[in-house]
Amino acid sequence: MKAKTYRDPVVEVYMRDVDRTLLRENLKLSHAQRLEKLVSFSAFASTLREAGKRARSKKG
Amino acid sequence: MSTQFDKLLPLLVRGDVEFILIGGVAGNIHGSARLTFDVDAVYSRSSENIKRLAKVLQPIDPYLRGAPPGLPFSWDERTIRNGLNFTLTTALGDLDLLGEVVGGGGYRDLLSHTFEVEAYDVKFKCVDLPTLIKLKRAAGRPKDLESLAELQALLDEQQK
Repeated sequence: MKAKTYRDPVVEVYMRDVDRTLLRENLKLSHAQRLEKLVSFSAFASTLREAGKRARSKKG
Repeated sequence: MSTQFDKLLPLLVRGDVEFILIGGVAGNIHGSARLTFDVDAVYSRSSENIKRLAKVLQPIDPYLRGAPPGLPFSWDERTIRNGLNFTLTTALGDLDLLGEVVGGGGYRDLLSHTFEVEAYDVKFKCVDLPTLIKLKRAAGRPKDLESLAELQALLDEQQK
């Protein structure tokens, strides 16, 4: 028999908005591949942040 | 600068630092799609580990994140021994080193709730998903609600 774990009703409300398709895609990857994805996403976000900074400083 | 997870984690492992990955990177290992900008790790408070931690991070210039520059902060055994939880910025990105974590205790308490991850040609310990959920819940931060929902959904997917 599976042990019952506590489920927070507030978190349950938030769960309606979770995009499970993204999670299912991630679950097909190995741990190392998931980390690679994080590294590349993080580098992409950093590039965008820097571009945003440059654009703001040009404006100002 | 983005945190160089691919360099920071192998650095800790190759320096024989005993640590357990928690937080957002652990969430990503479990399949989370959320972006995270730092590495959170619970480290062993043994004297030997503190020595190793001091030595291995020195070359990447750890400094207190958010603190004004020029403080007399020195990353050494004494600093680690006198402190417990450190939120650091380093040359490889942001690193949170926790001697204890709310809801999980210290390194030894968490050890039986970990599994081994192999990546970047090294192996390291990561907290298991039910424990990661427990830690997030114990932290009690409103900003974690969305992340908690995602982790719970991941647990549901894995238990299908």
